[in-house]
Amino acid sequence: MAELLKSFRPDVTWANAGGAWPDMIFSTRVRFARNLEGFAFANRAAADRLAEIRRLVFAAARESGMFPRGHYLKMEALGPLEKSFLAERHHISPVLASSVLPSGAVISNDEDLSVMINEEDHLRLQCLSAGFAIEDALRSALKLDEVLGGNLRYSFAEQFGFLTACPANAGTGIRISCLAHLPAMARLGRMPAALESLSRLGVIARGIYGEGTYVLGDFYQIANAACLGRSEEAFSRNMDKVIRNLIRQEIGARELLMKGAAKLKTEDAVFRALGVLRHARAVSYNEFMQNMSLARMGAAMGWNMGLDFSTFNQLTLLMQPAHIQAAAGRALTPAGRDAFRADYLRKKLN
Amino acid sequence: MKLCEDCHKTPAAVFLKLAVNNKVTGLHLCQACAAKKGAVYGFESGVFNASDIVGNVSDYFNDFLPRERKTLACAACGLKYSRFKETGRLGCAQCYKSFEPQLAELMARIHGFARHAGRGYAGGGAPEFSRAEASRRGEALNAAIRAAVDKEDFAAAARLRDALRELENRHG
Repeated sequence: MAELLKSFRPDVTWANAGGAWPDMIFSTRVRFARNLEGFAFANRAAADRLAEIRRLVFAAARESGMFPRGHYLKMEALGPLEKSFLAERHHISPVLASSVLPSGAVISNDEDLSVMINEEDHLRLQCLSAGFAIEDALRSALKLDEVLGGNLRYSFAEQFGFLTACPANAGTGIRISCLAHLPAMARLGRMPAALESLSRLGVIARGIYGEGTYVLGDFYQIANAACLGRSEEAFSRNMDKVIRNLIRQEIGARELLMKGAAKLKTEDAVFRALGVLRHARAVSYNEFMQNMSLARMGAAMGWNMGLDFSTFNQLTLLMQPAHIQAAAGRALTPAGRDAFRADYLRKKLN
Repeated sequence: MKLCEDCHKTPAAVFLKLAVNNKVTGLHLCQACAAKKGAVYGFESGVFNASDIVGNVSDYFNDFLPRERKTLACAACGLKYSRFKETGRLGCAQCYKSFEPQLAELMARIHGFARHAGRGYAGGGAPEFSRAEASRRGEALNAAIRAAVDKEDFAAAARLRDALRELENRHG
């Protein structure tokens, strides 16, 4: 079992319940895309230059003082299980996990700050915060950007701002995203229409692991699509408005699910789901996410699920395939993982 | 007289209207080029097969992109604009200069704006390069200085010389 996985804490602070709507907003992320002056973008730079970029970013991160006891990782030195673990924690993207070029990541000890190196851009730096915390996450990410940008030399031009490999990320290079849990809207079949109206507001929704991933357990990553032509604060204000609007819609959907004849149906679905989590002997990750989503909604409706939102959130991270193997301390087959997951849940929930 | 937009030799005899992504695009063609592209029209054949033409619109559109666009490439990294259109990824920061008019249009479509209005960047400190990287940059700066002097662009040469001096101070 890889030593690296033992050096990460089992619980992460940004997954604790926080913010005004801990039942609906799991976490907030603000990231900036940056590239270094004098180097071709990662898709067109030779391996030795990518290694130089990584060396420079590691040095800048050390100098910044923002990563005491942090993790400095070279991707090619990691095994598939370790990479999956980091992707499950949202520190690296699936794209970076599959990279064969000199690439890497710097992750702070309490895992709220991280930098991906040589993914699509030379740097993707991000701040993760618990709950609905756009302002806090923006402040921390800006601070990190300022310090790293002072130690490095970014590619920047007056007209297009911070220059990125894909023009869709140029300008501020900002992406603000909230991981939102919207089970009541999903249950009422309202998500397709809601997502369509989001796209008209310049906002995109994705699955739990970001671009190109499926929606699991009614978790949606809601993020700004455009990032040029307005200030970082203007983009974050727009996202704030959009998220508040979604929250209102989810509250409305919950009220409908608690009204009249719908209430018994909702209650039945929630407690059946809790039953699966408490008593099943083999639970796949997908099945866990479906049932956890209902139980989490039950807790939001005020029913006693025996778990608070922080525990729900930490479980959501812990039950992922690579996390299960990290907790078991060994590689497991899918069937072995499902049994381990069920055992873990039984102990935790009963 | 307007020349054919394909061969640029023969006078155009036909104006072909094409609907591309709900935008009407016009092409001036000579008879030979129009026939070569497979467009069937006029009294000789007696048929004007609109669906054939519309069905091949994207080919037409690419074929009739202005020539400078077809061969347009970044002066710094060599990335062809046509390649960028396939992958959606630029090769280097200079690509933004090399393809500026095209990108300004694209940015306006993606972001609704074509000009940055966020935080500025004053530039960071001089990073500590590896010896190989410092010498590579030194060589590149020397070559750029020679080129600027040849072009008698002494202001640019002076700027580059400052950059070289800074690099040497740090890594010399």
